[in-house]
Parts: sequence; structure tokens; C-alpha cells
Amino acid sequence: MRRPVSRRHWVRLDNASNIFPAARSDVDPKVFRMSAEMDHEVDPALLQEALDETFARFPLYHAVLRRGVFWYYLQDSDLLPVVEAETEPSCAPIYQPDRRTLLFRVLHHRRRISLEIFHALSDGTGALWFLTDLLTGYSRRRFPQEALPDAAADEVRPGAQERPDPPPEAVGARTGAEAAEEVHELTTDSFAHYFRSRRRRRRAEADHQEEFSREAAPAVLTVEEADAPVEEAVEEPPAPRPARRRIHRVRGTRTPDHRTRVIELTMPAKPLLGIAKSEGAALTMYLTALFFESIRRTDAGAQGPPTMAASVPVNLRQFFPSSSARNFFATIRVEHTYGRGDDSPGAVARALQESFSAEATPEALEQKLHRLLRVERLPLARIVPRPVKDLLLSLINHANNRRLTVAISNLGRVKLPEPAESHVGRMLFHVSAVRPQFCAMSHDGLLTLSFTAPFVETDHVREYAALLTEAGVDVTVSAVRASEDELMEFGT
Amino acid sequence: MRRCPDCTVEVEGEWARCPLCGTTLVGEPVPGPYPTVPLRFSRRRVLRVLFLTSLAVIVLSFLAQLLFGRDQDGIGALRSVWLGIVTTWLVVVMAVSKRRNLAKFIVYLVVLAGGVCVYWDYLSGWSGWSLTFVVPIVCAASIVGLLITARVVRIEVGDYVVYSGLTVLLGLTPILFLALGWVGTVIPSAICGGLSVAAVVLLLTVRGGIVRHELAKRLHL
Repeated sequence: MRRPVSRRHWVRLDNASNIFPAARSDVDPKVFRMSAEMDHEVDPALLQEALDETFARFPLYHAVLRRGVFWYYLQDSDLLPVVEAETEPSCAPIYQPDRRTLLFRVLHHRRRISLEIFHALSDGTGALWFLTDLLTGYSRRRFPQEALPDAAADEVRPGAQERPDPPPEAVGARTGAEAAEEVHELTTDSFAHYFRSRRRRRRAEADHQEEFSREAAPAVLTVEEADAPVEEAVEEPPAPRPARRRIHRVRGTRTPDHRTRVIELTMPAKPLLGIAKSEGAALTMYLTALFFESIRRTDAGAQGPPTMAASVPVNLRQFFPSSSARNFFATIRVEHTYGRGDDSPGAVARALQESFSAEATPEALEQKLHRLLRVERLPLARIVPRPVKDLLLSLINHANNRRLTVAISNLGRVKLPEPAESHVGRMLFHVSAVRPQFCAMSHDGLLTLSFTAPFVETDHVREYAALLTEAGVDVTVSAVRASEDELMEFGT
Repeated sequence: MRRCPDCTVEVEGEWARCPLCGTTLVGEPVPGPYPTVPLRFSRRRVLRVLFLTSLAVIVLSFLAQLLFGRDQDGIGALRSVWLGIVTTWLVVVMAVSKRRNLAKFIVYLVVLAGGVCVYWDYLSGWSGWSLTFVVPIVCAASIVGLLITARVVRIEVGDYVVYSGLTVLLGLTPILFLALGWVGTVIPSAICGGLSVAAVVLLLTVRGGIVRHELAKRLHL
């Protein structure tokens, strides 16, 4: 077990994650939630046992976020997570400065188990790993007669090329000052070395097996371990940017207490996949095109044919095998201007697909990442005090937001290990948002689209549902009560 | 599960009306996947309480002035500080509550600033500074302000044309003061009156159609 240590392990928050504490606000606390619906009412006691087990296997999740003078850093803690019944609005703030709390929470309500995470800790794929282990542990306890031997249950984590977490017996093998030194070394002294002499680094890696440092290392570092053609990629000149147009943005009435407005649409996955296929586009881009169309229908006649833009995160693990559970994604921006030809969802989806595919290549992403790393290593960027960095990052974030209509995220089809697979129905995830957004995920043949927005209005979701039902897809709606009228109707 | 006949979707949870379109649902409700979480606070209510308290404090402050003597021996300089703070507060409250319509805010500002200054003048022994200087200068400045606003801010003509008209009419009042001989120094009132007359002419010739259309719409019986 973990011994009390005098010096705590720490790692700095990588540049990619730094945006989240900086861009956090009352409206958008940068929290996301991933849920699984069981086939029975959740047993909190068993869930707690499963959480304790999973927590021990994920050293990264022990971290609390702290503020240094120049950068944020993650610090190991002795806090233990407690399973809670859901009493707060979904995606309630998790990280609050000066309050040392774990950066995630596990909730249950009726048949749902939900994992909420502050985005600086992990991304959707990382969260899915944790949730998968949690669900497996829980199901094994709840249905002991179905449980398989441990070895057989060890399956590949969804979205990863390899099983990234260490076998349980290796956990906590090394603690204390020795490990703290390693972490320190990894993050400061050899940071610059890492890129200059990759080979040496990789050989030395065998010595650095300490859990917290390994799991908590920024994902971008682990990219370098992959044998990617770095040099050739850098030579490529950047593509010329198209002239900037005013991007259509959705406006609305803020919810009364800043809660995130969540509306879930559940539908069988097959018919929609069929439709997307017949239109010759991937599902994600087809869903994006439908989103543009539904917003166009809602805000019709505003100011001529609008230009709409969406930000789509890409899981980098599919290009660069990585074991990091930390944030490891890049976002790609796609846009479409209406009124210039075929504006049917299928045609829009194909056009979006084309520009998306051009950017979602290892080479293009590599280049993006290198630019990011280069900025992080600039001496000037390092010595700027953190509050100033926060301010700059939030300004950058604000500027980026002005160029986006919506954001979407698709985790794809999820397969869980047994016995969880047969007891989990649909799975869902959603993100707190400053603009309309949806997150898609499919499990058990059910595709879920969770729409979030900071607004009370639901018009764009209504249009979206209409587009789906017109296409012959059966849609089920569930929503969070957000407006005063809706809450009054319920008598609260 | 309940069903929305308009959206043709199934709805989970104990909703009486469709969360998407508001149509009354049919069928038996099933428990929803989310708990109903009461509001932690309501921004609308917080704003309303702040607005009403502010208004009460402001009105009481103005009324309280009557308890003190009108001459300098009363509360003297303290009155200027008190009224100065209260008036600034009033302007801020108005600016916040009318933030969605700049033209309307300007009309409110002219009426309130003019009114407060006349009252202030009365409280400090009526030397006529409010009618001579403040009212004409505020009116003239607001007309210039409106012209700039209409150019710079994206605002529909129909939305500001009526309030512009009102501002211009208010700008004509200094001419009345002149005629009645209430003012000592003529220049501010003369400039303001001239500007207003020019603005009226401009408004009626350039935007005459829209003015008539808006007036017909808003004054129809």
C-alpha cells in the first residue's frame, strides 16, 4: 500500500492541458461526463468497491491540480474518491482554485453510473479506459457467477493500440523520495533532451517505471517515442489559409444558474450508419452536416447564407500509439459556407469529410504538435507568470470560440469486457459547453447524441430530431430540466 | 414511455410537455435518467432583487433631501456627494436594464439626467444652472451620440428611429425655456435648439417613411 511520503510526486501540466484551467468559467467549467446505463439499479456499495480497485490502478487519477508561479502542475495526493448519488446539475465545477480536490467524481442515479472529469486531467479516451475498468470491476462484483478469470477479462482498452496500464501487481512498486526524484528529472532536466536524443531516452525509459510519472507524463512526450517521420513532416509548407468570413454563431438565453443544458437523443445505430454510408460520408461528418442544417433551419433568414464551422477533436492515439491516459487529442476545424451549390446534408458531409481527411493525417497532425511543443519550449513563454499565461490563453480561447458555430465529438463504437458488456445498455458522454455541442458514442447497438449548450433554447435539437425522424430513424429524447418553467412544472 | 405527437419522438422522464417543442405529451411516463436538481440560484431573480433594491435606495435618497434645508447651511457639500453617488448609481442601473436598446437608453438618460439636475437646482436654492446649461448640453450631446450610435452599432432603423425622434423632441424644449425667458445665458439653448430643428428636418426628409410606419405601428388604437 501507499506509504506516507515526505515529498510528493509532481509533474507539470502540459501545454495542451493548460488551456482548460485558463478557459474555465462559470458557464463552462470544462468538465465532461461519461455514463453507462446498467440493466438494473446501481448498487452504491459495490460501485465503491469497484472504484477503490480501479483507482488503485490509475495513479494519474490520484492527482490534484495546483498552481505554480509559472505553470500549473499535477501533484499526487492521498485523497480517496467516494461514490456519490447525483444531486448536482451535470458537469458541475470540479476544479476550484485553492481547493484540493480530486479532478474527477463518480456518480450514480437509478441505473446510470457516471464519471465526471475535469478536462485538464484526461480526455474522452482516457476517461473511457477508467470507466471501462470501473464497469468491469462493478459487474464482476454484481454478477460473480458470470465473472471470468482475471486474465481472460484483461482486454484491449478501447481506442488504444496496446493495453497501457501496468499489471496490478506492479502498482506502487516504487514510492517515496526515489520516485519523486525520477518525476522531477523527467519533467525538468530531460525535457529538452527528450527531443534532441530520442534514442538514448528510449533506452533509459526502462528505468523509469514509476507509475505516477509514467501515467502522468504529458501525452505529447509519448508521441516522440513513436517512430514517426518527424523531419520530413516539418519540411512541409503550411497550407494557405482561406480568407476569413464571419462565422455564424448561435445566441440564446443563458440558463438561470449556469447549468449545462443537456438533451440526449438515443437511436439505433444501424439505420443512421446506413444513411451515412449511402451518402458516401463517415458518420461523424454526416452528423456534423445534420447539425449545421438544423442550426440553419433554426436561425433562418438571419443575414444571408451563413458560414458555419465546427471543431472536431481527433484521438491522436490512433496515429501515435501511446499509453498515456492524459489529454492526447488535437482539434480539427471544418467549415461550410451555404448558398454556393449543393447544400443537402449528404453533399455538405462529403465536403466536410474531404477537408477533415486532409488534416487528419499523421503528417499534418505531427506538424501541429511540433508547433505546439515549440511554443511551450520558448524561453519567453516559460518565464511569463502563470496568471498572465492564463489571461493570454483565455483570450486565445475566446478568439477561437468566435470562429466556431458548434463543436462535436464522436468516441465511436465501444466494446466492453465481459461481464460488463452484457449488463451495460447505452453509453453516453457530454461536455460542458459555451456553444452548442454534441458528443456521440455508441454501445449495444444504440447511438447516443448528447447535446449540450449554455442556453435554455432547444430549437436546434428539435430540428435535429426532426431531421432524424424524417429520415426514418426512431429517436428517444431525455433531457435535463434547466429553465425555471421546467423546474416549476415539476414543483421544485 | 411518453410520446410527442409533433416531434414524433419518445420522451423519457416525467415531462408534461415535450422538452423540444413544448407540445403536450401523450402516454405513460417512465422515470428519467436525470434527477431534477433545484436551481442553486436564478440569475433573473438576483438581477431583479438588485434592481429593485437599487431603485428603492435611489428614490429614498432623493426624497430624503427634502428633509434638509434648501440653503447652504443645511447639509452643504455633503448633499453634492450624496446626490452625485446616487445619480451615478441611477445611470448605471438604467444602462444595465436598457443595455439591449442603446437608443432607448439615451432617451432615458436625457430624461433622468435632466430631471435630477432640475431637482438638484431646486434643492440648492434655484439659481437656474440646470435649465441654462445642463438640459441643453445633455440634449445636444445625446443627439450627437445617437447619430454616432446609428452609424457605429449594428441596429435596425425601426428600432432606433422612434427613440431618435423622442430625443430630438426633447432637444426642442430648451427653445421653450428661451421663449419663456427662464435662462440667463442664451448660447447653450440656442445651439441645442438649432441642432434639434436640423435633426427633425433630417429625420423627416431622409427617414420620413419609416418614421410614419413605426408611429402607425406603435400608436395604432
